[in-house]
Amino acid sequence: MEYKLRKAEPKDVPDILRLVKELAKYEEMENQVTLTEQDLLEDGFGDTPFYHCVIAELQPQSSDGLEVVGFAMYYFTYDPWVGKQLYLEDFFITQEYRGLGIGSHIMRHLSDLAMKTRCSGMMFVVAENNESSIQFYKRRGAEDLSQEEGWRLYRFDKESLVKMASAREE
Amino acid sequence: MEFTIRAANVDDCKDIARMITELAEYEKAIDQVRITQRDLEQDGFSKNPFFHGIIAEVPEPHKTKEGHAKVGYALYYFSYCSYRGRAVFMEDLYVMPEFRGKGIGKALMSKVAQLGLAAGCQQLNFTVLDWNKSSLDFYLNQGCTDTTAEMGYHYMCCKGEALEHLAHGQL
Repeated sequence: MEYKLRKAEPKDVPDILRLVKELAKYEEMENQVTLTEQDLLEDGFGDTPFYHCVIAELQPQSSDGLEVVGFAMYYFTYDPWVGKQLYLEDFFITQEYRGLGIGSHIMRHLSDLAMKTRCSGMMFVVAENNESSIQFYKRRGAEDLSQEEGWRLYRFDKESLVKMASAREE
Repeated sequence: MEFTIRAANVDDCKDIARMITELAEYEKAIDQVRITQRDLEQDGFSKNPFFHGIIAEVPEPHKTKEGHAKVGYALYYFSYCSYRGRAVFMEDLYVMPEFRGKGIGKALMSKVAQLGLAAGCQQLNFTVLDWNKSSLDFYLNQGCTDTTAEMGYHYMCCKGEALEHLAHGQL
């Protein structure tokens, strides 16, 4: 089946949010999505984008129009030991269209972009119970830094951030 | 002890490079450091910076015996959570050993939190090595969550040859 990969445009924001929610459902965290179309528009297509997006689009058999069936959301980060990295925040293909090579193509596109922009690596997070995704990435040579080097991810939520921001010097 | 917390500028890169090396030594990974002062200047202080820095500085009487006044730093950048939106990632937080226990680490982190909130961020994320008990205790004391433990999130990386193979379509 023919599909096209392209850079996301402002008009794609409703589809990006739809796919973010589909991914959240797959990760059993649907109720945690508080992002709105307005947020995605401002944050991705303003003067200083917080994220970039590539989408996969095709013409389904049942209709005349084009449908967005997959996306990858990424941004650039920095490792003070080796420099720029590409961080893959979200990566999802609608169930119906998996197994067609779209996911592999997106990974190839992003890793090519990482190399062209002189990133030394592509980083991402996977939940340890997501066996199929872990295998997908490990087949492509990904290393599990949590397992191999002992790195653990930590988070301060908004409430803790506010407390820290207003903490007085001891 | 008196100290000041301020945004880093391009002239701080020599000391930032020095302290990055010190932190790498502490994390038992000194052989992994490839970055130079020049890289930091280009990547952090040009038109589209890839990171931002905060510096902790002490006045003249408290300088180290080698003459260093810049005794701590934090490196951070803005990231994005597809569920909640804008986020800030604190990549490095370091205070020289002889200056610890004086509130400098907390003050650096507080500054990152302030700047993150000012930019509309909903969360601050970072990583810690599982054997680094003193850092783990420091952070847990401030009210953070271990998302690796709670959600089973593993931090993964595709680099070097694997990245090249991926880019050129070889599985």
